Amino acid sequence: MFSLFYGLWKYMFSKTEFHILILGIDKSGKTTLLEKLKSIYSNLEGLPPDRIVPTVGLNIGRVALPNAKLVFWDLGGQPGLRSIWEKYYEEAHAVVFVIDAACPSRFEDSKSALEKVLRNDELQGAPVLILANKQDLPEAVSTEELARYLDLKKLDERVSMYEAVSAYDGLGIRESVEWLVEVMERSKRTEMLSTRAGASPA
Amino acid sequence: MGIMFTRLFSSLFGNREARILVLGLDNAGKTTILYRLQMGEVVSTIPTIGFNVETVQYNNIKFQVWDLGGQTSIRPYWRCYFPNTQAIIYVVDSSDTDRLVIAKDEFHAILEEEELRGAVVLIFANKQDLPGALDDAAIAEALELHKIKNRQWAIFKTSAIKGEGLFEGLDWLSNTLKSGGG
Repeated sequence: MFSLFYGLWKYMFSKTEFHILILGIDKSGKTTLLEKLKSIYSNLEGLPPDRIVPTVGLNIGRVALPNAKLVFWDLGGQPGLRSIWEKYYEEAHAVVFVIDAACPSRFEDSKSALEKVLRNDELQGAPVLILANKQDLPEAVSTEELARYLDLKKLDERVSMYEAVSAYDGLGIRESVEWLVEVMERSKRTEMLSTRAGASPA
Repeated sequence: MGIMFTRLFSSLFGNREARILVLGLDNAGKTTILYRLQMGEVVSTIPTIGFNVETVQYNNIKFQVWDLGGQTSIRPYWRCYFPNTQAIIYVVDSSDTDRLVIAKDEFHAILEEEELRGAVVLIFANKQDLPGALDDAAIAEALELHKIKNRQWAIFKTSAIKGEGLFEGLDWLSNTLKSGGG
């Protein structure tokens, strides 16, 4: 009996649960990334990319690591649905912003969507990981090139990183998750969110 | 439509008993949707406690439909229909803007039910064929879908009369349930 309760106790309190928003314009590969995360970190199969349809709502992926529990929120990126993003900001520990690095004609659209995210007060202090996705395609640009193109002034003042990934074949995904966990564990925002959660009964 | 339905749902739950609730206010188009899917005979039952439940049995999946709103005294009896529910399909008349607030309240009340915690939610913004129907983004806003943070949801514009949008929604549903659900 004791071990049962101890197990429950451990399960509930030893791991911090982090909420991570996956944002980006439509067709950038957010849901493909989510499915890849599921297949890498859990024994779930994950949907093959050709079965993925545009998201018009919320997809959730849960990843259990030895030291943390991650909950990924993947929100639809079509212009009409982007207003929903903001409603999820308040509880997010970090943001993953996905960009199709093989589609320069839409960089401008990504830039303005990302700038809007960075300007939002609700996301103050949240670490931002910018993914140059679709590296499996030959025309994909590097992270340096993408960073030069986006030229984000607002980024200097927060914890951030660019990472070259392929949600299709899994390149860079583990590195991305490791970085996220590391920065979230010592971010001021995590402290702030857990204080707030502690104030109200869970 | 019947064949598509078979392809999507035939092997989804293995031999497990599963339940999908189709809910919404009266006149939202729930029964029309069931008929559109052509998966079998819709059986209407009125239990003695006095609320009308329509059931379609498809292999091991039970689709059950009833109207929300109205009498509060019968609500406790709804719980008989909650166990093993994998998904909720919530149908809204997108042209009935006067009753959207009621639709929202009923929706969130149902989601609070303990036994429905694990169910994923598919919303049909129905009656898109009618003039003045709100689009998916507007219905998402009106239903305050953003308050849902612990389960997966998706919204689709549908016209049950024309058969539009239903397949896309069910495609999402079967994919979501396949890849691990809520």
